[in-house]
Amino acid sequence: MRNVAIVGAGITHFGRRDASWKDLVVEAGKALFDDVPNLDKKDVDSFFIGAAQPERWTYQTHVAPLAAELLGLKPRRVVARTESACASGQIAIRYAWLAVASGLSDVAVVVGVEKMNTKFMNLSQTSMMNVGNREFDTAVGLTAPPYFAMVAQRHMHLYGTTEEQLALVREKAGEYGSANPYAQFQKKITKEDVLKSRVVAPPLKLFDCSGITDGAAALLITSEERAREYTDTPVWILGGIQRTMANSINEMGELSDWLSLRYLAKDVYDLFKITPEDIDIAEVHDCFTISEIVEYEELGFCKKGEGGKFIEEGQSYIGGKVAVNPSGGLLANGHPLGATGVRQAWEITMQFRGEVSEKRYVSGAELGLAHNLSGMAQFHHIMLYSIKKPKDVKFGR
Amino acid sequence: MKEIVLPDTIPLLPIVDPWEQQDAEGPDSTKVYQFYKNLSEGKLTMQRCKKCGNVFYPPQAMCKYCNSTEYEWEEIPKTGEIHAFSALLLGFPMIIENFAPFVVAVARFGDYPKNGVQIIGIMFDTDYRSLKIGDRVEWEIMRIKGPGEKVRYWYCFRKV
Repeated sequence: MRNVAIVGAGITHFGRRDASWKDLVVEAGKALFDDVPNLDKKDVDSFFIGAAQPERWTYQTHVAPLAAELLGLKPRRVVARTESACASGQIAIRYAWLAVASGLSDVAVVVGVEKMNTKFMNLSQTSMMNVGNREFDTAVGLTAPPYFAMVAQRHMHLYGTTEEQLALVREKAGEYGSANPYAQFQKKITKEDVLKSRVVAPPLKLFDCSGITDGAAALLITSEERAREYTDTPVWILGGIQRTMANSINEMGELSDWLSLRYLAKDVYDLFKITPEDIDIAEVHDCFTISEIVEYEELGFCKKGEGGKFIEEGQSYIGGKVAVNPSGGLLANGHPLGATGVRQAWEITMQFRGEVSEKRYVSGAELGLAHNLSGMAQFHHIMLYSIKKPKDVKFGR
Repeated sequence: MKEIVLPDTIPLLPIVDPWEQQDAEGPDSTKVYQFYKNLSEGKLTMQRCKKCGNVFYPPQAMCKYCNSTEYEWEEIPKTGEIHAFSALLLGFPMIIENFAPFVVAVARFGDYPKNGVQIIGIMFDTDYRSLKIGDRVEWEIMRIKGPGEKVRYWYCFRKV
């Protein structure tokens, strides 16, 4: 396999945007093109766009050629729209990595985008409901907040995790998010603010939840041979994999055990010959505060059941054991489904390039992990990014 | 200027109707039609494979353990135990907003997972503060009337 690098990155402001889906694609694309002035668009041979539900929120299907045209691209090798709900963006990056690593593609553009704020917010909620087995599990009105609320309830029941510990996750997100000019929520939120906020689905309150967000991000991904044409600071994509073991409520067993993530993380550490201790930055999928706590555990940053203690001890802050979500995560950035995975790669790229505010800069970071979950945590996804060039990456046993 | 005129009302899009797929018109409309027929007759059912004996849910047209397409419909035990619960108090989906807020619970019925199921149900007229993990619940069939003359069936939970 060839080495693959992120050689350029661009992002839009995240939030409730006065902008259409197409405007967001163009805005992220322009930010990317401004970042790589040497790019001749004719050299872009492949294009991937992560978009979860454009057909529901924008009534538009067949979005890959549409977005390619908006950006002035005429890709001729691999072109695809990727959909896996909340992880659509990360999958677009994975496909670009595979296409370039295989030698089929040399220069690929990746876009992640979602336009979620519409005139019909109840339709947005209906659309979100469809990520479960619609016919049998989610038709009853099971949206994400009550599902993750039940995960939190089980975690509290089994391990004594507290609402205060959940609130700390949001406080941390606000602390770093306040230094991220692209985040939807840039205000600092205290633990007390979280505990006092309106109950959405007990025990989760408004500030335990990420936002309904519009936004997009874009990357330029090339082979090692082409990387130096565009940048002196390539960010290497080590790669990543995915895992799903169950989809329906009946198959999920204990709701606070995310076995797919537990085994996925083990596989990632084996495959790439690293340990959780090697990770300097982890951009993880904190769609709810409880998600981040379960992720500390399943990613192996702490023992099962000790996620609450992990944040209480400050281990997931910059300067702790591992800097988790120095971008402010989904809680502060908001969560435009298809854009999130690409935003995480953008964050790690900017961190490695040293182009983020000092208040959220992870100094000396060399290895970054990006994690997404999709749907009701049925499906987990990890990518690894490194400042050091990979040597002899070989897969298979 | 040329003008075209649209109707005063546009019918509800099936894609926003949560029970659209359950509007099973007959055995040819879905291979799990029997599940809906059972619901309309007051029974909530799971499948048991005739070949390997495994139980599976949600309904589907093939045993995922041994690929057999021979299975029986078996009534899910009437009483189960709450594994987890919450309530939907904010952010209601379309249609659902007509009967929200409500409690949602995941409950286990029978000898889960080998000989039972873990399913989710709504609990109406229930204060979530009155519930705890381990409480006993029953499934009961609920009748969904509308829009218009449509009648469909689903299930919900009730504390016992």
